[in-house]
Amino acid sequence: MRGIQLSLNQTQKLRLQRALEQLESLSSKANSNASVTIADTIPVNYEDGVLKGHGTSELDGEVVATMCGVVERVNKLVYVRALRARYKPEIGDIIVGRVIEVAPKRWRLEINFSQDAVLMLSSMNLPDGIQRRRTAVDELNMRSIFEENDVICAEVRGFQHDGSLHLQARSQKYGKLERGQLLTVPPYLVKRRKQHFHNLEQYGIDLILGCNGFIWVGEHIEAKDPMVEDQVNKSEQQNTKSSKNFTRLEEQEQTYTPPETRQNICRTANAVRVLSTLGFNITVEVITETVELSSSLNLDIHEMLGSEFCVLVAEREAERRRLLTKKKG
Amino acid sequence: MEYVSPEGLRLDGRRPMEMRQIRAEIGAVAKADGSAVFEMGNTKVIAAVYGPREVQNRSQQLSDQALVRCEYSMANFSTGDRMRRPKGDRRSTEISLVIRQTMEACILTHLMPRSQIDIFLQVLQADGGTRSACINAATLALADAGIPMRDLVTSCSAGYLNSTPLLDLNYVEDSAGGPDVTVGILPKLDKVTLLQMDAKLPMDIFENVMQLAMEGCKAVANYIREVLLENTKTLEYRRGV
Amino acid sequence: MLQSKSFVKKTKQGRVVKVVREHYLRDDIYCGASSCKVCDSSVACLSSNASPILIVDTNVVLNQIDLLENPAIDDVVVLSVVLDEVKNKNISVYNRVRALCSNSLRKFFVFSNEYHKDTYVKAMVGESPNDRNDRAIRVATQWYQSHLGGRTRVLLITNDRENKRKATEEGISAETIESYVKSLGRPDLLDLLVHPTSGDVSMGEVEDLRPAKRKVIYSEHKPMSEITSGLHRGIYHQGKLRVNRYNPFEAYVGSESIGDEIIIYGRGNMNRAFDGDIVAVELLPQDQWHEEKSLSIADEEDDEEEDVHLVPGSADDAPRTTNLVQGSARDSNSVSSRPSGRVVGIIKRNWHSYCGSLEPMPMPAGNGGVAHALFVSKDRRIPKIRIQTRQLGNLLDKRIIVAVDSWDCLSRYPSGHYVRTIGEIGDRDTESEVVLIENDIDSRPFSSQVLACLPPLPWLVSSEDLANPIRQDLRHLCVFSVDPPGCKDIDDALHCITLPNGNFEVGVHIADVTNFVHPGTPLDDEATQRGTSVYLVERRIDMLPKPLTEDICSLRADVERLAFSVVWEMTPEAEIISTRYTKSVIKSCAALSYIEAQARMDDSRLMDPLTTDLRNMNALAKIMRLRRIERGALTLASAEVKFQIDTETHDPLDIGMYQIREANQMVEEFMLAANISVAEKILKHFPPCSLLRRHPSPTREMLEPLLRTAAAVGLNLDVSSSKALADSLDCAVGDDPYFNKLIRILATRCMTQAVYFCSGDLSPPEFCHYGLAAPLYTHFTSPIRRYADVIVHRLLAASLGIYKLPTIFQDRPQLTSIADNLNYRHRNAQMAGPGLSRTPYCHLFQETADRHGGQNSEDKIEWLYCICAQVWYRRACVLDTKR
Repeated sequence: MRGIQLSLNQTQKLRLQRALEQLESLSSKANSNASVTIADTIPVNYEDGVLKGHGTSELDGEVVATMCGVVERVNKLVYVRALRARYKPEIGDIIVGRVIEVAPKRWRLEINFSQDAVLMLSSMNLPDGIQRRRTAVDELNMRSIFEENDVICAEVRGFQHDGSLHLQARSQKYGKLERGQLLTVPPYLVKRRKQHFHNLEQYGIDLILGCNGFIWVGEHIEAKDPMVEDQVNKSEQQNTKSSKNFTRLEEQEQTYTPPETRQNICRTANAVRVLSTLGFNITVEVITETVELSSSLNLDIHEMLGSEFCVLVAEREAERRRLLTKKKG
Repeated sequence: MEYVSPEGLRLDGRRPMEMRQIRAEIGAVAKADGSAVFEMGNTKVIAAVYGPREVQNRSQQLSDQALVRCEYSMANFSTGDRMRRPKGDRRSTEISLVIRQTMEACILTHLMPRSQIDIFLQVLQADGGTRSACINAATLALADAGIPMRDLVTSCSAGYLNSTPLLDLNYVEDSAGGPDVTVGILPKLDKVTLLQMDAKLPMDIFENVMQLAMEGCKAVANYIREVLLENTKTLEYRRGV
Repeated sequence: MLQSKSFVKKTKQGRVVKVVREHYLRDDIYCGASSCKVCDSSVACLSSNASPILIVDTNVVLNQIDLLENPAIDDVVVLSVVLDEVKNKNISVYNRVRALCSNSLRKFFVFSNEYHKDTYVKAMVGESPNDRNDRAIRVATQWYQSHLGGRTRVLLITNDRENKRKATEEGISAETIESYVKSLGRPDLLDLLVHPTSGDVSMGEVEDLRPAKRKVIYSEHKPMSEITSGLHRGIYHQGKLRVNRYNPFEAYVGSESIGDEIIIYGRGNMNRAFDGDIVAVELLPQDQWHEEKSLSIADEEDDEEEDVHLVPGSADDAPRTTNLVQGSARDSNSVSSRPSGRVVGIIKRNWHSYCGSLEPMPMPAGNGGVAHALFVSKDRRIPKIRIQTRQLGNLLDKRIIVAVDSWDCLSRYPSGHYVRTIGEIGDRDTESEVVLIENDIDSRPFSSQVLACLPPLPWLVSSEDLANPIRQDLRHLCVFSVDPPGCKDIDDALHCITLPNGNFEVGVHIADVTNFVHPGTPLDDEATQRGTSVYLVERRIDMLPKPLTEDICSLRADVERLAFSVVWEMTPEAEIISTRYTKSVIKSCAALSYIEAQARMDDSRLMDPLTTDLRNMNALAKIMRLRRIERGALTLASAEVKFQIDTETHDPLDIGMYQIREANQMVEEFMLAANISVAEKILKHFPPCSLLRRHPSPTREMLEPLLRTAAAVGLNLDVSSSKALADSLDCAVGDDPYFNKLIRILATRCMTQAVYFCSGDLSPPEFCHYGLAAPLYTHFTSPIRRYADVIVHRLLAASLGIYKLPTIFQDRPQLTSIADNLNYRHRNAQMAGPGLSRTPYCHLFQETADRHGGQNSEDKIEWLYCICAQVWYRRACVLDTKR
């Protein structure tokens, strides 16, 4: 069994255990006996033929799981929802990835999938915002857009016929991510939702929960209309050509992240870390709650990674879910 | 040398048909996609699985299935004498190959084309049966990594000493020089995927010994299944809805 | 059910290695008492009557095994901790205890206390292993006490004073073996008791003697730690002590560290070491190295003078060694170059029980009480042993067996105890019994289980045998056997046919013993144990029961018999073209003696087919023999010593030289060829588990005495190869007609004996047989009288696919142990032959009636190996008496 690797003292151990037990009792009602391991037979009703989905195969007329996970049934479809596994892309998923290679007309991104994803130069808006054919010059300037090791946010476009995964970034909300932290969590902890971009205004930060388990926590950036921005830039350039010093300062000011924001980024990142250690579902609500908990307790950022906070989060989560089920009930 | 006393006890107090204590733990290497520690008595093996991931060496990429790689090594401190072990000696190469083939046979590689799966096995303590322990650990680690498999593979060894078939030989019994049969099975499919012996045994005795080893495999399989199910349940309830 | 307790052990193999082993403790180990309700009683063997359950301590098992073997002692629990300790200290006692435990007639139960969850004890910090084991014994006893409640009395039998005291403190009833035996009220058992030495609980009398009055006769042995460090620093030398068979006051220690043998003169220097003990020796200063001859005479005198002392610690225990010192002083002017030394410590004892008789002595006054007597072993190498007995009158004229218990440095003789009586001194049966016991030969009649394995008599070849496809019908062939006159166990026969192409078909037919002796049967087990038939002067001790030996298997004339055949096609130049192996049915047309066969060949008038076959074979054999000698086979002692035995008294009258006839050599040659062919075949099929026979090449050091002797008489021997040696031996002709023979005998003695081995244990270059100059050799041709041949028959049958290979061949350690046993039995059987000649009434060598002695040269080598010791001794004055 996967244990939580923390150094806990006796009371903390007990408390954590109690909280986890509570969680277990809460969930078992909802989903009992749906967990399977490899080679377990999945009971199905053969009368209305079944569709075998992911993680299943057929053996002697039985449906058998090929991985550990939870059996899900949607109408006739039976599949095993894997828990700990690499990311399985679906079209339209918003993901965060890291550029690992700049190749002809494309970038290759590590997105925790079984292969690297491809972002074609043609699948992304050019900085000047003009829709046009990509020229050789554009190709040569690819590095000015994304370099190796840049963190990028994009959307899953789909599989090409050669089996490779393609991404697109045809919107202002996608693109390079700067001034923040990238966190990796197991993908199963991130649920697909309508909204994956979150702006936590109270902290002045952006939070992107990539479906692939890459989570971006960074300084809030106003999505600006590129046309407007360009115009502004152009006028500014004209204005400030004479005084270079001023421009430098302004640039610095633009790129400068205030310490409070930095702290908030770290606090949020640590909240994500704690949640991922405990294996809790990671949603914006839970993250904000955790951050709030830590600030209400006046904990230093580094203390959030300590065992005490971990136990507290577990207890709080148990309490939260209990209330949730009560409400439902 | 007397390996089974007339009272029917082995040197470590087991009876001939008994296995050593087994223990498994999933998730020992945080960085890996899947990992496990498997212990059979004093034999302790750690397994880490990376992948499926992009193939590192493009020329090895297979367009219709995943590439499985395996690396077995023994820690310097795994035996009493703290020998310095050269990497890639014949024994480790052979065991790596055996484990790779065994695991490849049960991974549904066609579901993950153009990717590679790396299995790293490190023997932390060696007390006989490292091969079996490695296979069991690798199965757990692969399952933890969410890699689809036909079936679990479990392995156990059995030997024949003092005219008695013995299950799960420890180091002392292993070094007695008698026949040592290592069997790997797919418990659900009831198939043998690995069968190794480097001695001669008459057919009827061999069958007995192999049967015993298979019983051992099944016992290991039950344990592994329990561990995996427990792990899955834990992950699921922790995650919540 | 399983609890794991790992413990850490350190073993020293030059370096310290940490060993971690698991130790599982269980709750399914039963107490073995049939009165117990809780435990599984299916294995229980301890009786439920009122007699107490005895739990024996290690020292009791080690010292009092003779007593434990007496049926009067029963209901004994042997703890596994005790067994382990006994095993480490004395393997032969261990085997005896094991035999007791597995004997269903005796109520001995093994309790695996080390694996029982309640009786396992962990060594405490600072506790010695000995103390831990003692504690384990007490814990187990306590467990028994509480486990059985008050129903049965549990008694700890220990002779360790400390252990007894602690046991009593812990509320365990404990007794010494003496007090227990006394409580039984059986005075005859008291003789079997080993009398305690100081340190153990004793009855007090020894302690009461004023130590001041007792003189130290032998120097104290050095403690083990000092010996170890001494060995490391090269001050001491380790080796096995071998006492000169003919002069018990002289011993040799072959030392690796010094590369030569160290001579030890006199009992004082031997310092209580027995023959076969592993000892540590210190070299004497060079000026004390002396010549042996004069001293040995002094020793003999000393021996004569020695008087019996009966009471331990009596004043006449004055050291006799002064005599020796004087002797050596006299001779010190002639300093020899051979190192001499003295024993400083004994690393491993080789004590067992010895046959002999009590030294004649007047009956002591207080008849019936405890008397002390001196026991004289038949083996001269063993010193006299002092024993205590209550039945002196009975024992005085008997051959008895005595075991050694201890040898205190205060007493001249070792002390021992009486084990059992064999019979009257001088009685022929008794004396041969003694020889058999001395050589560990089992002469008991075959048990009923063994005899039950025999086919019903009269036995005839059945139609099934004939119909069996694996068995070829060779009854039409003219098969004949050639053996010594009067031979009943005929295990080989021959045939020879001239083929149309001018070649010859030669067949060797060996009795098909494995057709009757099946693996795993009691018959087979018995034969495995006996290993070989033993030929004594007046009787033969068979390996297989008589019906098999003399009738069913024996290839007698004019009866159909089953055989295992090797058939060659040979060119007239005796080149083997093809070899065929088959099981067969034959009908021998003549059982010839060597003399008859020779006479037929020599008589030119005879032209019958049998004689022609004989002549053809003889021609082939001559070529083969020549070729073999060309290859370098040694004819080490070609001339056999022959003994004429008085037909009435069976006493040997004279010795002479045995005449070797061509017929002997002919049979020998074909047997060798068959053995070699079979060896090749089985090794090809079963490389890891064939039973072969090898004769290691002698190293130059081993031949050293031969070279030295040869050089002394001005002879140069070339020992670079077996061929060279054979040639130079042929050239060695002296004035003495015996000279060449003696040189050959000496050469034989310098070599090791040929041995059986399992092919998996050695690498192919080591397989070779030096004496026969054959790369491979095994024994196939005498399955009736040698078990090795039976094994080889099975291997050959399996290689032909006739039978499955018995499971024993898979277990290499077991196969190795069988080979070792065969070697041991073989050696003993040979020792037993000439062993008889050492009886007091018989001075001459005795032909052991070994008709096989002349069959092949390899047998000769070994047989001569034994008798040459005596030949040597008689003519030794001119040569070297090193061994």
